[in-house]
Amino acid sequence: MTQPIISIQNVSKHFGGTRALHDVSFDVMPGELHAICGENGAGKSTLMKILSGVITSYDGQLAVDGQVVRFQGTRDGESEGISIIHQELNLVEQLSVAANIFLGRELRTGLLLRDDRAMESQAAHLLQSLDCDIPPNRLAGSLRVGDQQLIEIAKALSINSRILVMDEPTSALTEAEVARLYRVIAKLRSDGTTILYISHKMDEVFHLSDRITVLRDGQFIATLNTQETSPAEITKLMVGRDIESLDLGARPQRGDLVLEVRNLSLEWPGHARGYRLKDISLELYRGEVLGIAGLMGAGRTELLECLFGASALEPTGEILIDGELIKPRHPAEALKAGLALVTEDRKRLGIFNTMDVGRNISIVALRDAVVGPMLNQGQEQDLSVSMVEKLRIKTAGLTPPIGALSGGNQQKCIVGRWLLTGPKVLLLDDPTRGVDVGAKAELYRVIRGLCSEGLGVIVTSSELPELLTLSDRIMVLSEGRKTAEFSIAEATQEKILEAATKSWQFQ
Amino acid sequence: MSSDYASPLGRLWSSVEFKLILSWLLVVLATMALDTNHTYWNASADSAQLILRQTVLLGIFALGAAVIIISGGIDLSSGSVIAMSATVFGSLMIVLDPEGFKAGHVSTMAVILSITGTLLVGAMVGTLHAWLITSVGLPPFVATLATLVGLRSFSRGLTPAVTIGGKSQIDFPDAGLRDALKDVTSISIVFLFFALLLWFLMSRTVTGRHLQAMGGNEQAAKLSGIRTDRLKWLAYVIGAVSASIVGIISFADNGSAKPDIMARGYELNAIAASVIGGCSLQGGVGTIPGTILGCLFLRTIIDAVQKIVGAGADVYEGMIVGIVVVVAVTFSQRGGSKLVGKKYFSNEIGWSVIPTLGILSGLSYLLFFGSGNSKREWYANYQAFLIGAAVVIALSIRAFLESRPRVNGQS
Repeated sequence: MTQPIISIQNVSKHFGGTRALHDVSFDVMPGELHAICGENGAGKSTLMKILSGVITSYDGQLAVDGQVVRFQGTRDGESEGISIIHQELNLVEQLSVAANIFLGRELRTGLLLRDDRAMESQAAHLLQSLDCDIPPNRLAGSLRVGDQQLIEIAKALSINSRILVMDEPTSALTEAEVARLYRVIAKLRSDGTTILYISHKMDEVFHLSDRITVLRDGQFIATLNTQETSPAEITKLMVGRDIESLDLGARPQRGDLVLEVRNLSLEWPGHARGYRLKDISLELYRGEVLGIAGLMGAGRTELLECLFGASALEPTGEILIDGELIKPRHPAEALKAGLALVTEDRKRLGIFNTMDVGRNISIVALRDAVVGPMLNQGQEQDLSVSMVEKLRIKTAGLTPPIGALSGGNQQKCIVGRWLLTGPKVLLLDDPTRGVDVGAKAELYRVIRGLCSEGLGVIVTSSELPELLTLSDRIMVLSEGRKTAEFSIAEATQEKILEAATKSWQFQ
Repeated sequence: MSSDYASPLGRLWSSVEFKLILSWLLVVLATMALDTNHTYWNASADSAQLILRQTVLLGIFALGAAVIIISGGIDLSSGSVIAMSATVFGSLMIVLDPEGFKAGHVSTMAVILSITGTLLVGAMVGTLHAWLITSVGLPPFVATLATLVGLRSFSRGLTPAVTIGGKSQIDFPDAGLRDALKDVTSISIVFLFFALLLWFLMSRTVTGRHLQAMGGNEQAAKLSGIRTDRLKWLAYVIGAVSASIVGIISFADNGSAKPDIMARGYELNAIAASVIGGCSLQGGVGTIPGTILGCLFLRTIIDAVQKIVGAGADVYEGMIVGIVVVVAVTFSQRGGSKLVGKKYFSNEIGWSVIPTLGILSGLSYLLFFGSGNSKREWYANYQAFLIGAAVVIALSIRAFLESRPRVNGQS
């Protein structure tokens, strides 16, 4: 048997009182694609941080090529040939592609000056070897997420990494970009690179990996050969219980028309297309989930922002709630009209990191907890507690900081925040992004439950199976236009994808 | 640290307020022990009154600064607003009751109108800030930098225009009024009232919570339906009006308004006091009681050094503020800073700073304790040299210990 390229031996890590990893041991073989699966909080990221030298103090040991190593920083990890592609990309947006690839290891001319030309030509070479034609002098910030990720991979290659750790690499990619990433991965593997691949998505894991290691609650559960297992088995190991196949119960009866949008358009000055949204019309009934599908940049987020009065420019067209025309120019006005928006980017646009769980939930509904000019803290707590109970948010009371909760529970807090306002229409922008399997199913159930209470829900998602599970109808956007609408009975992944890529005929 | 939020006692223990009260007591006790004149024993009431007056004068506008900082902004203009308000107050009295002003007996109606007018001008400055920030789109730092420079200049222009003979300062006309306005009891009542009002606003109203939310995450606040522009207006008006109140009091306290030097650099003291009191310049974090304690602590430690060192110690006020800010923020940072275990001198920057700290220690010794020996030549103060050298040696030993590789890599 060959020697493992990485051997993780009895690794444990505590953060204060919480146990992130407990006595984890497993081996990674050279040249394999080894998937690491586990729910959020299972310890995957902590393990990867130890592997790449981000975390330097831990119990147990790590061996690379049979040699015990203890990294004192990411440089040590890199010198052993280990690079990590983080879920949140670490590029300097104001610098060029080439400058990002060589950041910290800039090439110099004989006079010790920075050699931009050499860096650009080498960067171009690297990117070519990945089959992508990104100009190396473009600013990193002007690229799409998928391209930015390839730059991170090119950066890893530029330091001759033998082992690449990829943390949820497809979470922000379109289907086309995922396909390209698969090609890049195949190429890396044919060059002998070992890949550690962290993902929630079973289809990816089973498509790509040789072996799968499952972690749960910081503990090693099993390493299985991909060919000898099934997604159901892995999911079961991850959650430690059988997930009922996602039967969300009967779909509630469709009620009255609650939201109507007529010919909504949003300009895009300075862009070749001229518009972000063009002539979008839609109807939403009480008790119904309308799914919005579309590739990245199709205008899903922009549409929800327009409805919620949060767009930078004023859209044209008509928005009617219960037959009444509204023109929200500030989220406060949309809120008054009965709309609620759970934003896509939870960290940046959703949570208040400086506040505790309770205050994060109550922030929009504080006016319901005032006596005279004064905020009644008891009433405020009652509001927050009611949502913690209703949505079954896992938290040790209302006082922990919001950051101490898992992604799924943070998302529930934000949903709860809006439910407290008693909305008629709930807009959910990619609500399960970065949320683990178990919490996803819970969120689906919550959404279905809200529908049966008579709420109209619009949900966008970058995952088609999610939309197919949740929606009663699915509307497809492509480059700012509505290209199709399907009832759930007629919708298939193929049809949706076809409509979502239809765009080029408009150009 | 991570489990602190669970228990109320743990929260109290790790709160900035609690640490500040302890440190304040320590400073008072140390001053009692070290002050050779035993001022705190012999003249307790006078000492307390002095510290109270200074705390109140700093506190009123530091609270305004704190509200702005908690809501995610910054106000660099308060020193200039103080000077401008004093000038405007004087000018209004001259304009409204020229005869009374000359005679040294301004009519009550004119005084009331002048105070109202001055506060209104403060509110106008705050509105200008809010407009520059929300509508013009300037960063708060730039908007208030402009008024920091501009308003002082405006006041210097205003002064000769209202004074007879075009003088560069306005003298306070009315001795009785002056005593009333600078009376420590009345300004303490103003402070108490203002502090209670702001405390109520920040911790007991929806608006206060929204201000904190905006400071923590402005975009999320806007997307939560919070009218962030209006909140900013409120915060900057509170900030500017608080400085105007101090301007009126300072005019009386100083006996004259000299716009070119009055309250110069005070804005930084206000920001320092807020930061010492636990406000984060990132926004979203901080309390009114903490800021009050920050002011009290800062003024007490300045007073303590004056008592211990003796005359002429106001020269060192800036040094004290600087050191206190560094130490306070270091030890109140989230996660807490430790003396043991943390590496301060383990890299090139750490090594390079050791001589600087040595020179600083030696000079501090010379400045604080060497003044009695002023007849001697400077080099006779070999003690300062020894102190500096001792600090360099001690830190070098620490640097050496820090740079040794840890045996098992564990802390």
